[in-house]
Amino acid sequence: MDDEKRASGKKNIILCVASVLILCILLFPLYWAFITSLKTEQEIFQNPPTFYPHIVNSKSYAAQVETGDFNMFRSFGNSFLISIGATVIAVLLAVPASYGIAKYRFKGRKIMLLSFLVTQMLPVSVLLTPMFIMFKNLHVYNTWVAAVLADATIGIPFSILILKNYFASIPKDLEEAAYLDGCNRFTAFIRILIPIARPGVMVCAIFSFLYAWGDLAYGMTFILDQEKRPITAGIFNFMGQYGTKWSYLTAFAVVTIIPVALIFIFMQKYIVSGMTSGAVKG
Amino acid sequence: MGCCTELYLCKLARQPFSIRKELFMGKIKKKFRYDNVGIFFVLPAFIYMLVFVGYPIIRNIILSFQDVGAGNLVRGAKNFVMFDNYVELMGDKVFTTSLFNTLRYTVLCLVFQFVIGFALALFFNRKFAFAKPIRGILLVPWMIPVTVTALMFKLLFATDIGVINFILRSLHLIGKNIEWLTTPGTAMFALICANVWIGIPFNMILISTGLTTIPKELYESSSIDGANKVQTFMKITLPLLKPTIESVLILGFIYTFKVYDLVYVMTSGGPVNSTHMLSTYSYKLSFEMFKYSKGSAVANVLLVILLIVGVFYIKATTDEEEA
Amino acid sequence: MKKRKITALFMTLAMTAGLLAGCGSSGDAGAAADTTAGDTGAAQEAATPEESADDSAPAEESANDSTGDAQAVTIWYYWETEGHQVALDQVIQDYNASQEQYEVTAKYVPFADFKKQLSIGASADELPDIAILDSPDHASYVAMGIFEDLTGKFDVSNYYEGTVNSCTVDGKLYGVPFGANCLALYYNEDMLNEAGCSVPTTWDELKETAKALTTDSVTGLALCSVQNEEGTFNFVPWLWSTGATSYDINNDNGVRALSFIQSLVEEGVMSKECINWTQGDVMNQFISGNVAMMENGPWQIPTMQSEAPDLNWKVTLIPKDTEYSSVLGGENYAVINGGNVDGALDFLTYATSEEKVKFLMDKFGYISADKTIAESQFEADSPYQPFVEELNYAMPRGPLAEWPSVSDAISLAFNQVITGTATPEDAAAEAQATIDSIMK
Repeated sequence: MDDEKRASGKKNIILCVASVLILCILLFPLYWAFITSLKTEQEIFQNPPTFYPHIVNSKSYAAQVETGDFNMFRSFGNSFLISIGATVIAVLLAVPASYGIAKYRFKGRKIMLLSFLVTQMLPVSVLLTPMFIMFKNLHVYNTWVAAVLADATIGIPFSILILKNYFASIPKDLEEAAYLDGCNRFTAFIRILIPIARPGVMVCAIFSFLYAWGDLAYGMTFILDQEKRPITAGIFNFMGQYGTKWSYLTAFAVVTIIPVALIFIFMQKYIVSGMTSGAVKG
Repeated sequence: MGCCTELYLCKLARQPFSIRKELFMGKIKKKFRYDNVGIFFVLPAFIYMLVFVGYPIIRNIILSFQDVGAGNLVRGAKNFVMFDNYVELMGDKVFTTSLFNTLRYTVLCLVFQFVIGFALALFFNRKFAFAKPIRGILLVPWMIPVTVTALMFKLLFATDIGVINFILRSLHLIGKNIEWLTTPGTAMFALICANVWIGIPFNMILISTGLTTIPKELYESSSIDGANKVQTFMKITLPLLKPTIESVLILGFIYTFKVYDLVYVMTSGGPVNSTHMLSTYSYKLSFEMFKYSKGSAVANVLLVILLIVGVFYIKATTDEEEA
Repeated sequence: MKKRKITALFMTLAMTAGLLAGCGSSGDAGAAADTTAGDTGAAQEAATPEESADDSAPAEESANDSTGDAQAVTIWYYWETEGHQVALDQVIQDYNASQEQYEVTAKYVPFADFKKQLSIGASADELPDIAILDSPDHASYVAMGIFEDLTGKFDVSNYYEGTVNSCTVDGKLYGVPFGANCLALYYNEDMLNEAGCSVPTTWDELKETAKALTTDSVTGLALCSVQNEEGTFNFVPWLWSTGATSYDINNDNGVRALSFIQSLVEEGVMSKECINWTQGDVMNQFISGNVAMMENGPWQIPTMQSEAPDLNWKVTLIPKDTEYSSVLGGENYAVINGGNVDGALDFLTYATSEEKVKFLMDKFGYISADKTIAESQFEADSPYQPFVEELNYAMPRGPLAEWPSVSDAISLAFNQVITGTATPEDAAAEAQATIDSIMK
C-alpha cells in the first residue's frame, strides 16, 4: 500500500547512501562507546586515541554480569517491570485524558491543560523529598511500585500533550456519525478514535517506556535495596569516588542498550507500522 | 477502512436495548452536557498528577519562604522569612549566571535539535528502502540513560585523549587541542552538543508521527495544482503540523530548561560555575550545601519562568482552536 | 452483534471502574502524605526500628532460623569497590554469627547519592541505624540532630587527634573514626631517574622536577582539582603548607598557594584537565604513564598494584612551602538517634576491636585511626608507610556545620586561578568575602 510512491532505482540508492551517512555521523558516539568498552584502560588513555582496540579486552563485559550485590540480569528484570508498569499507567490515563482535552470544551479545560504542563516543570531534585515522604506513607518505599508511580508522572503529561493533537486531527463528523449510529461516547472512543490515533498511542507508549527505562534519580532514591534497583543503578559500580573506569562504563552502556535495541528491532515491523501507517484517511 | 466496519456494526446494533439506553442517557444529558462529559476522561490523569506532583510543588513553594538548613531540617522551628531567600538570590552571582545559562542553553538546544530533527523527519518521510529501519535505529540515542550519554560525551570532548580534538587536528582545523570542558565558553558548547544529540531523535520521531496525520490527498492535489516542493511545505506541511510543532517545542523547552543529569555529570556546573543551570544549582544548594530553602527558591524561579511560557502556549493553542 | 456491543460496554465500565479505583487510592495517599508532612516531628521517634525490622526480615529468617527474633541493625555505606564491600560484609557476617541478639545488614548507597539520601531520609524519618560517612560532612549532620551522642561510650584516646576532632562537636563525641587516610605525593620512579631528578621536598624543587619530567606526552604533576569537596581535599594541603587556614585566605600565604597552583598550570607542568579529573581519574592518568607525579591517597594502592603491576612508583611527603602539611580523609561511623541505638553500639564495639580494625584497614588500604595500631600496621618498606608518616602532618577539614559552604568558596578560588578566570589576589579576596559571610 505504502509502496505506491516508492523512490525508484537511482534515487533510491542515493537516498539510501545518504541515510547511511546520517546514521554513521549520528551514531558515532555509540561506536566510540562500543570500541572503548573493548579497550584496556591503558589504551583508552593513549594519546592519540585509537579507532579500534589494539588489544581486545573483554574483562569489562565479564564485570557487568555481577559486581558485589549487583546482578545484571536481575536489574534488567527490575527495569522491565518498572518501565512496563509506568508505561501501562501512563497510557491508560493519558489516552482518555488527551481525548477529553482534544474533543470537549468543558470548563476548566485550559487550567487542566496548563496543570499537565506545570506538573513536569519542577526539576527532579525538589520532587525527590516530598515523593519519598509520600511513598513511605503509602508503604511502597523500597519497592518497585514507588519507581513505577514516580516514572509514570513523566510519561502522563508528555503523552497527553502529544496525543491531544492526534485526537484533534480526527474529523468531528466521524465521531458524530458514530453517535448517530448508536455508539455512545465510550464505545466511540474505544472502537473508533483509539484505532485511528494508534500511531500516537504507540509513540507515547514507547516514550513513556524509555523515560522510565532511562530513569536513574527515582529508582535510586525510592529503592534502597541493590537487588530491587533498575539497571541504570549499575552505573555507580563503574563510576564514583575511585574514578571512572571507562571500559566498564562503556560496556555498561552497550549492555544497557542491547536488550532494548533488540526489542525494537524485532518489533520494528509492528512499531514502525503502528507509528506511521495509521493516518487519517479521508 | 477499519472505521467503516465499526460504523456498520454500530448501525446494526441499533436494537431496543440501545433505545432504552438512549432515553436514560437523555436524562443524564441535562446534567452532563456534551462538553462537560469530557472532564471525566481527563479527571483520572489530572488527579494522579495532582497527587504525585501537586503536593511537591506546594511543599516546595512553602519551603522557599522558610529558612530551612541543616540545623532545622528535622527538628527546631522553621521560620517564615518571606522573600529573604529570593532577595538573597538577586545578589548571588552564581544564580544570575545559571539563570542566563539556562535560557541560553535552552534556546540554542531547541533551535538545533528542532531544525535537525525536522529535516531528518522530512528526509525519512520519503519512500526508500532504508527509510524505516534507519529511522528506527536513530532512536537508539534515546535508549541510553542520560547519565551514560553524559559520560560518553565527556570522554569524546576530553582534551588530550578525546577523539573530537583528534579528528579536528587530523583535519588540520585546529593547531592545538581545544580545552573543551575546562574553558567556560566551550564547555557550554559541549553540553549543547550532547543535548542536541539526545534531542534529535525526540524531535524527529514526534514530527514523523505528526506527518502521518496529514492526509496524502492534500499533497496529491497540491502537486496537481503545480505547487513546487517549497510551496507545498509552506502551504500544507507547516500549517497542518502546527499543533505537533507547538507540542514538540513546548515539551522540548520544558525538558531542556530543567536539564539536570547531563550537566551534573559532564561539568557539574564548572569550570568556575560557568555552566551551572537553575536545576543543578538548586540541587547543589539543597543536597550538597544543606541550604534547602534557598535551593527551593531557585527551583521556584525555574517553575515561574516555565509557567509563563506554559501560559503563553496554552493561550496560543486554545485561542486557535476556538477561532 | 449485540454481544459484541455489550462486551464493549463492559470493557468500558471495567476501565472506568479501574480508573476510579485508581483515583480513590491515590487520593488517600495524598491525604496521608499531607498529614504526616505537617507533623514529621511526632512521627520521628516511633517509626525507624519497625521499618528497618521489616526491611531485613527475610534475611533474618534465613540466616538465623533457630532464634528468629534478632533485632535488625542497618548500615549505610558508600564504598563501591568490591573489595571494600566484601571486607565490610565479612566483618558483619562474623558479627552476626558471634551473637544472636542483633542481625546487621549493610546497604550500599552510592557516594554521589549519599548526602542526598541522608538528607531525604532525615526529612522522611527513614534512616539506617549506623551511617558510615565522609568525615568533613559529619558536623553538618550533627547540626541536623540525627546523630546519637557517643561521649564516653568509646575509648578514642589513642586515636589521631584530627580523626577524633572530625566527629566532635561542642566537646561531644558524635561518631567513631572508621579509618584514616591522607594525601601524599606519588612519583614515577623510572621517569624521575631518567630525568636525573631527586625526590622533591619543597615547592621550588617540585616545580623544577615537574618541568624536567614534562614532555610531549607526559605532564609533570596532577592533582584532582574538581570544583567540589574532593577538589578542596586535594587543594588544602598546599594552602595549609603556607601557614594559611581554611578560614583565612586573603593574605600573602593564601595568595601564594593559589599563585603556585596557577603557575604550575601556566607553565604547562600540570594539565588544566585536572579540574575534571577525580582522584580516580588522576590515578588512571598516572598508571597510564601520562602523568609523572600525582597527589593521591593510599586507597588507590590496591588498584594500582593490580592494574599496573609493572609500574615503578613510590610515595613521599607532599613538598612543603613553609611547613609539611596534609589533609585528613576517611570515614566515620555515626549512630542515628531514634534507631536501634543499642544494637548499633554493640556492633561498633565489635567492629572497632583491634583485630577487626586491622582486618578492615588491610583490605581497604586505609590506615587505622588508632595510632597504636597504625604504627605497627605496615612493614617498613611498605608503600603505605609514607602515609603513616604523612598522617602526623594531616589536619581535618572543619569540623563545622557550614563546612560545605566554606569548601565551596575554596574550590571556586582554585578553579578560578587554574582556568585563568581570576588572578590569585582576586580569587583569594572573593573566597574570603564568602567565607566571612558564612562565619559571621
